[in-house]
Amino acid sequence: MEKDKLNPMAVWREWFVESEKAWSQALTEMMGDEKFSKGMGRYMQEALHSHRMFSEAMSQYLANLNLPSRSDVLDVSDRLGQIEDTLAAIQVELRQQRIQLAQANSIASHETPGETSASAKPARTRRPPQHQA
Amino acid sequence: MNKPAHHAPNKAQRAELEEQVRKSVERALSRNIPGLALQQASLELDVGPTPKEIVYTRDSLRLYHYLPMTDEVYRVPVLIVMSPVARGYILDLAKGQSFIEYLLLQGYDVYLMDWVPPRREHAHLGMKDFALDLIDESIAHVQQDSGENDISLVGYCLGGFLASVNAAIHNKGPVHNLVCFTTPVNSEGMALYKAWVETKAFDIDRLVDALGVIPGDMINASIQALRPLQKQANQMQLLNNVQDDAFVKASLRFDRWATEQLPVPGALARDLVNDFLRGNKLLRNEYVLDDKRVDLGKIRVPFLHVAAEYDHIVPTAASSDLVKLVGSKDKNEIVVKGGHVSLIAGGNAVYRLWPQLDKWLSVRSV
Repeated sequence: MEKDKLNPMAVWREWFVESEKAWSQALTEMMGDEKFSKGMGRYMQEALHSHRMFSEAMSQYLANLNLPSRSDVLDVSDRLGQIEDTLAAIQVELRQQRIQLAQANSIASHETPGETSASAKPARTRRPPQHQA
Repeated sequence: MNKPAHHAPNKAQRAELEEQVRKSVERALSRNIPGLALQQASLELDVGPTPKEIVYTRDSLRLYHYLPMTDEVYRVPVLIVMSPVARGYILDLAKGQSFIEYLLLQGYDVYLMDWVPPRREHAHLGMKDFALDLIDESIAHVQQDSGENDISLVGYCLGGFLASVNAAIHNKGPVHNLVCFTTPVNSEGMALYKAWVETKAFDIDRLVDALGVIPGDMINASIQALRPLQKQANQMQLLNNVQDDAFVKASLRFDRWATEQLPVPGALARDLVNDFLRGNKLLRNEYVLDDKRVDLGKIRVPFLHVAAEYDHIVPTAASSDLVKLVGSKDKNEIVVKGGHVSLIAGGNAVYRLWPQLDKWLSVRSV
């Protein structure tokens, strides 16, 4: 730590960390200003407009170059997401099957459900510690 | 005088030399600066370590059940509703720094409504889908899976908003206890977002129509705008604490989570902007969802709100009205020092906040 006190960069970093909140607050207040908010809203509209125009122009250009556009990448992403959905659904189904199998085994071996089976759920009988009750 | 013969190293020698240099540099760095010895790659894999099973899935919802860690659990299961704009692993960040692990060790049966990134086909999912349909379906699955009718509903941030709306509409339903972490109900307390969306230049319909799903980067940028220099300050703090292995690990995990905001379905974004940020309808008791008035005063179950004093994302000015609006007789608020995330993932939460929550919830979970 003594070494850090002699390190001007460490001292500067420490100062930055300590004063960051005040600087951030000043910037946030500036961004909350009506003029800034209006400007940001307008910028967003313009950005959306130019994004649409640029996307349309680029998609044809990229298609000619046999390269994927953003929309093509999103299609792949969506497809992957759908595959993940299917995998999740299979996991749900497998869990159900496992629970049903455990219940059937429990009945077959005349166990009281939830008593001795390895897949038994813990009893829902917990009480709060005395000092909390 | 003859010059000494100079042989250029062959390919294999060069590779060996490079390997030796690399190892020497790595060794020197790891010896002197422990934090740099960490591999980012290994950190990416170790979030969400608590064992869980998936119970139900629909659209961007994943309902998980965490495997109990005690022989006996409380009768009433806990269903956590995660904010749909953030990754759920913040609740289970690492072993010993996990809200979910803490609940399991105290003997709760824990379920989590987590979200995966919505796709374009999910753009139509709005507040009704999130606050009513998906929570209702999850509750039904938890009831079936646990065999219990009563549920403790716990919501974090926007998840708390969804949970409160659901509990208000189904005020005679299965919700036995309601716990909300840093939950926004008053948009006047969110000055920056309010200023942005109230100008006529901000056209949410055009934004949603153009994008369908609001990208996670845009959500991330809007959250960062609330404290624009925090990221740089965190990086500097990281450099100042690079000798501290645990600090570096925690910092990298937080950093990863903070930059991984989820995209938001356009319809939900539209509902939030129009009904919450612009209309402030929940506070004014004017919020109508699925033809039903959302009156928080109709919530009668035991209620706890947990807020953070230095929360810059949902300041107390935006959340403190919740406890006043809820109609329960048995209601409490805990305000702790800390920020938005430290409530559920901070190193001190395990000693300060979570035991208070356990004390409150345990006696209401039997």
